[in-house]
Amino acid sequence: MTQLATPPETRPVDDLEPDAPVSAPLWGRGILRKNGAALVVLAVLAVLVIMPMILVLVAAIATEVPRPGNGGLGALTLDNLKVLTSPDAVKGLVNSLILGLGATAIALVIGATLAFICARTDAPWRRFIFFIGMAPVFVPALVGALAWSLLASPSAGFVNIMLADMGLDMTINIYSIPGLIFVLGLFYAPYVFMLVHSSLSMMNADLEEASTVHGASLKTMFRTVTLPLAMPALLGSGILVFALSMENFPVAAVLGNPAGIETLPTYIFRLMGAAPAQANAAAGIAILLTLGLVFVTMGQQWIVNRRKFTTMTGKGARPRQVPLRGWRWPATIFALVYFLLAIALPMGALFLAATQDSPYLYSMSQMFQGGMSFDNIVKVASAADFQKALVNSVVVAVVAAFAGTTISFSASYIRYRTKSRLGALLEQIATAPLAIPSIVLGMGILWTWLSLPIPIYGTLIILAVACVAVALPQGYRSISSSMLQLHSDLEDSAVMLGARRSRAIVNVTVPLMRVGIVSTFLLLLMLAMRELSASLFLFTSDTRILSILVFDNFENGQTAVAASISVLFVLVIAVLAVLAQLAGNREKKQLAEASDSGTNSL
Amino acid sequence: MKITIENLQLRYGNFTAIENLNLEIDEGESVVLLGKSGCGKTSTMRCIAGLEEPTAGRITIGDTVVFDAAKGINLPPNKRNVGMVFQSYAVWPHMTVFQNVAYSLKLQKLPAAEVKSRVAEVLELVGLSDFAQRGASLLSGGQMQRVALARSLVMRPSVLMLDEPLSNLDARLRDRLRVELREIQLSLGLTTVYVTHDQQEAFALADRIALMQGGRIVQIGGPTAIYNEPASASIAHFLGVSNIFDCTATVGADGYVTAVRTGGEVIRTEQRGLATADDFKACIRSEDLVLSNVSGGGTNEFSGRVAVTSFQGSSIRYAVTLDNGGELDVFAPTKGAERFAIGDRVFASVAPENVQVLPADVVRQARLQEVAA
Repeated sequence: MTQLATPPETRPVDDLEPDAPVSAPLWGRGILRKNGAALVVLAVLAVLVIMPMILVLVAAIATEVPRPGNGGLGALTLDNLKVLTSPDAVKGLVNSLILGLGATAIALVIGATLAFICARTDAPWRRFIFFIGMAPVFVPALVGALAWSLLASPSAGFVNIMLADMGLDMTINIYSIPGLIFVLGLFYAPYVFMLVHSSLSMMNADLEEASTVHGASLKTMFRTVTLPLAMPALLGSGILVFALSMENFPVAAVLGNPAGIETLPTYIFRLMGAAPAQANAAAGIAILLTLGLVFVTMGQQWIVNRRKFTTMTGKGARPRQVPLRGWRWPATIFALVYFLLAIALPMGALFLAATQDSPYLYSMSQMFQGGMSFDNIVKVASAADFQKALVNSVVVAVVAAFAGTTISFSASYIRYRTKSRLGALLEQIATAPLAIPSIVLGMGILWTWLSLPIPIYGTLIILAVACVAVALPQGYRSISSSMLQLHSDLEDSAVMLGARRSRAIVNVTVPLMRVGIVSTFLLLLMLAMRELSASLFLFTSDTRILSILVFDNFENGQTAVAASISVLFVLVIAVLAVLAQLAGNREKKQLAEASDSGTNSL
Repeated sequence: MKITIENLQLRYGNFTAIENLNLEIDEGESVVLLGKSGCGKTSTMRCIAGLEEPTAGRITIGDTVVFDAAKGINLPPNKRNVGMVFQSYAVWPHMTVFQNVAYSLKLQKLPAAEVKSRVAEVLELVGLSDFAQRGASLLSGGQMQRVALARSLVMRPSVLMLDEPLSNLDARLRDRLRVELREIQLSLGLTTVYVTHDQQEAFALADRIALMQGGRIVQIGGPTAIYNEPASASIAHFLGVSNIFDCTATVGADGYVTAVRTGGEVIRTEQRGLATADDFKACIRSEDLVLSNVSGGGTNEFSGRVAVTSFQGSSIRYAVTLDNGGELDVFAPTKGAERFAIGDRVFASVAPENVQVLPADVVRQARLQEVAA
């Protein structure tokens, strides 16, 4: 989700200004030959992203939505938009904004503090702190919310039972606005951590040393040099968390529903699921939510672009470390507490719930009176619907990762390696889903494929399509960063030696980008495995995936089953994360080797 | 093979990279495109290679028209049989030296035995016979350069093009490879186009040098001619002439040009006739100036004080602040010449045959003429 700073277009500067008007010879004649591939990719992206958004837009002012067997939209009307002024919509919007702001504040405090401790202090166990800062990103928000509802539901949460056991007249109610803010902030803190940590550790030490050389104290240096340099990362990640929290569905659904707290995404879900469905009204709300997100994302782009001057290099001396003295251990303990809240307690709670015989727990002592068994997990793992969902998830994720990598590669190639004027447009469309809430994109994709004469609704393919569309920005950025590191001369030289362009791509570019391609594939695989929001309207009883299965079981009160599946779900994702990590390490090694051999010594 | 470039133009939007460029390169000739970065020299080479599509003009290699904007001909690069050595070498790190060099032959589906013998032959030529099975990522810069050259030579190209191939190497290696490159080019009789911003390299490698400025060829000729008779002051400046003064120029009764430095000395020359231009400059190489502590009273003498001295081994460089304003750069041999210290009063003189009065800039002049026409 990080913003990739694209290099400015460089062009030789000349001291003579051209004075003749520019004609465009060959443009008309060559248009198809030059842009054939670009037009194909454009068509694919249009079906993936543009058409769904247009359908949502039109559905908001129409009387019908496409349904199985009827792809039409009915007549046009402005009646749906009345929903925007309804008390429910206003309340949803206000709740979404409160959650967004609150979660951003918490995520910023946790993420930036951890990043600072890890990157710039002498606190002990900094490598482990790095792991702590990253790890929660691999816990799907749905699983995190489920775990915290097990921990702190007012009636049966483990923490509350423990408090009661200790004789304390106190309950922690996670089913509340502060509870939701807490969980969102907790699980989105890693995004802040990643951006701020890389900004702090990549910062050129010379810049800071220059300030101390000129007489600044450590404190002044941080205030006048370090903080301003880290500001784009702070602002950028803050806005990202705000957007993610606004559009988040699973946390609001799992923790908000029991208390009747509704956000815009859950309101959309309720309207879509109502009998009779109020899909056109849902589309109206979807437009509202998307506009908000577009606005916020534009703010982020603006900050990122405006602050391009803070070019940082990984070269030079290590950045300065701040001696914490008496605060060394408290700093590490802060990190450990975060680990406890974001990983240890939630995973422990899921594990406990999955291994409990009895669905009801009255006291912690009951837990250790032989009530523990793996029967539940085994039973769930061997149940037909779990196995089917697992297979479905894997199929969807593999297909989505494969298609997503291919599409990302093609779009990125056209953008960075050809002179096609469509390149910039392709990039904009490929990164647009950042500003589109997943749940809205899911609606649009549903209607798109119901109105197209290709019958993939009800199959796994439509789920894969949704996963591709939602994760397109991440895939595109990941492949582009790899593409930009590879000099185009490498491929051109194969063409000069007689290879056709396509052959040169296969023989040179793809093998040299292999590691980047593999890590993009694994990233998309992982994102597709976690995906819930976009799939909500697309699955059928035959095509349930793991995240849907967890959500369904939770909705039906099968908490232990949901917990068991979650445990297995997290295991699968952990395996993928380790694979991605290994691939990343190999890439680093390869890059290091390549730069070693690039020196000029004979 | 012979290359003919006619009226070549390359534009990106409003930016003109190449304007109305004409160039003929004979069979077996080595032409160096010389100019500052951004002058259009690499763009010209990439147009010949087919990696850029010109907006107008015609390019012929041998008897084949590879590009003609008017007729819509644009042969793709892989059909032009042009060898190209990139500035970055572009040696493929995922292949061995042998695989790199054999690539074009494998594309031609030649029998394995022939591939092997031709690769061996060319590796011998560039001195890499022992490295055939070495992974290309394990090579040094100089070795990669040789692999890139071998890879282009093995396909027996109609034309070999080299884009600043020595610029990433250290100075000593550069000197050695420069000589080797010239040897190989002469022994194979290959038509070669070479791009560089380094005049020394250009002088060493070229049969003819095409000097480029602002997307045009501003002067073309043999190395000696270019060195001795730059066509404009800005070319002279690029070729290292460091004393360039604004002046007014007149042709005297004796037919020789006399220049008067703006606000200063009268400078006599042995130059006959002036180019048509509005703006002239007097150009004097720093090594052609002689310093003395007494005035010779003759012509072409500049008086001033030494402001900076800088010892450079076999020579000493002086910066002299002139009494009439301006500064002079003087390059004097260490041996057999008087030494001066900062603050010394000095008189610098130059022989009339070593002064050139040149138009300031031929590109601008050419443009003005085009506009007038």
